[in-house]
Amino acid sequence: MKRLGLLYLAAQNLRRKPFRSFVTIAIVAIAAGTLFSATLLISSVNRSLEVGMERLGADILVVPEGSQESGEAALITGVPTSFYMERSVADQVAAVQGVDQVSPQLFIESLISSACCTGHVQLVGYDPDTDFVITPWLEQNVDKPLDRDDVVIGSLILANKGETVKFYGHDFNVVGILDATGMGADESVFMTLDAAYAMADESAQDAATALELQPGQISSVLVRVAPGTTIEQVAQRIKTSVPGTLAITANELSRSVTDRLSGFLKGFIVLDIIVWIMALLTIAAIFSMIVNERQREIGLLRAMGGKRGYIFRLMTTEAILLTAAGGLTGVLLGGAGMFIFRAVITASLGIPYLWPPLWFFALLVLGTLFLSVVSGVVASLYPAISSSRLEPYAAIRKGE
Amino acid sequence: MPPYERESDGNTMSDKIISLKGVSKTYKVGPSTVRAVDNAVLEIERGRMVAIVGHSGSGKTTLLSLIGGLTKPTSGNVLLNGTDIWAISDNELSVLRNKMIGFSFQFASLIPTLNVYDNVRLPSTFDGAPPVREDRAQDLLEMVGLGDRGNSFPAHLSGGEQRRVALARTLMNEPQLILADEPTGDLDEDTEGEILDILRKINAGGATIILVTHSRAVASQAEYELRMDKGHLSEKPAEF
Ligand SMILES: Nc1ncnc2c1ncn2[C@@H]1O[C@H](COP(=O)(O)OP(=O)(O)OP(=O)(O)O)[C@@H](O)[C@H]1O
Ligand SMILES: [Mg+2]
Repeated sequence: MKRLGLLYLAAQNLRRKPFRSFVTIAIVAIAAGTLFSATLLISSVNRSLEVGMERLGADILVVPEGSQESGEAALITGVPTSFYMERSVADQVAAVQGVDQVSPQLFIESLISSACCTGHVQLVGYDPDTDFVITPWLEQNVDKPLDRDDVVIGSLILANKGETVKFYGHDFNVVGILDATGMGADESVFMTLDAAYAMADESAQDAATALELQPGQISSVLVRVAPGTTIEQVAQRIKTSVPGTLAITANELSRSVTDRLSGFLKGFIVLDIIVWIMALLTIAAIFSMIVNERQREIGLLRAMGGKRGYIFRLMTTEAILLTAAGGLTGVLLGGAGMFIFRAVITASLGIPYLWPPLWFFALLVLGTLFLSVVSGVVASLYPAISSSRLEPYAAIRKGE
Repeated sequence: MPPYERESDGNTMSDKIISLKGVSKTYKVGPSTVRAVDNAVLEIERGRMVAIVGHSGSGKTTLLSLIGGLTKPTSGNVLLNGTDIWAISDNELSVLRNKMIGFSFQFASLIPTLNVYDNVRLPSTFDGAPPVREDRAQDLLEMVGLGDRGNSFPAHLSGGEQRRVALARTLMNEPQLILADEPTGDLDEDTEGEILDILRKINAGGATIILVTHSRAVASQAEYELRMDKGHLSEKPAEF
């Protein structure tokens, strides 16, 4: 005899009460969706920090006093900025005890109508002689150092390799595109310091607005700390021995991001816990109701030869169907929400964002679904057990 | 008691399909106890067709449920084919109910979310169900005159039609024992006659039938009658 699937019977039962099923699915969807998107946000930010900090390659960043915030914003989310200090700062920093390597960088905010890009982008000048970030990357990916007219660009800059982009009236060839980090580097254009000075020099004639930049000026000094000293110690020494500057450690940079993120998520997580508890209680209440109103049916199934396990499985199957549907809806809505609002969230919080790899994404989806289903089973466990233990005759009679 | 009666299988087993040994069922309702069935002693031979009559509330349905293993006696033993049904596991009892007994309930008893066809074949889809022919459900529906209603849902059937579907379902697993609680309850005389014909046919095929009824005409079809009176079971000659 063709089996009459438990799944079919369970689905039929749920179809009988569409509104109630819908409400249950909706509550589970909210619980699962918020959990999913919060986890996605946290892991994307962490991944971005990990990748971005590695790209930054420095333990400490020295910037002029008063430029800390704009410097951090440029690094983390790529909000373009310009600030300058004298190049001699780099030598002073290099002389500090515990400093292993230093490399100056120059931050220039581009003009708004640069050929490639809508809006401003961050131009970064680096020193090929001392640099420990772009140079190694170039060696591996471009196999020639950057020329006066060459740039490498972040992954979000809308240009292709081999194309020309114009900044301050100067044409540059795009010779390489960096991998995504989710951080400011994605929206930055890298050139040599010499190229930057030359561009500034020509800008008086070639650009709509001249770039006020003296050769020898820099914006920041990237520092690598020698083994045997802590980063914090060295940062402290730089602060005291190089006046007019500020030393930001990579840890501080990460922490300021995670602080902002956890400030935002704190309320969210409390909310999520409340929603989960509500979902569990709702499922438990609904299944107690289901058991009550279906006593007669349960008794009939038992009288016809359905075992206790059959009744138990029928109830849990209904719970699993509801929570799996809720979990799936939650994942879809939560995922779509992150996709749509990612830009708003990251911009308003000033946090970096890098989508996790596919395997992690899949794991997160499965984990959320699993948690939803387990919650459903747990919440419906008591009603499912008590319904399977009803005496058939009593059940049939009570339901009359 | 002769030892062979305790054998649960084999041909040496007695031909008693049902045997009740001092079976009582009491309910506590507030401070008082209701003796729904009081010390019932009964033996029914295989292949009989027996009617249970009695006033409303006399304990007929309770007795039938005790026989069918749907409720546990407060005291006494219920034996089906020599097996004490409360001495076996709940799963074994479920399988026994499924294979051996067809229960037809006093009130509407179809699963509302399944169509008529699925309702009829439901007993054959459980774990441990005996093998039956693929088209048996349809045959049974035709037998009760509802061959064209397989796709309907119970809510769209009349009370009498639902009752006939329930009877078809009762017969699905070819049970040896049919327990029918007022099988002709809300049926007109013609349909009542048809149902009785069916029951007689099944009985002629070897199945034991116990039916509860308030109808003289139905009771008179049985080989003999049992009377329930305020929980007391007594045999009463059919010609009474
Ligand atoms: N679960 C229960 N709790 C309390 N009393 C019960 C319970 N089940 C049955 N009774 C009582 O047991 C007695 C017998 O009930 P039963 O249903 O067996 O009667 P019946 O002969 O089938 O009546 P009817 O002809 O009206 O169907 C009644 O007094 C009834 O109220
Ligand atoms: Mg009754």
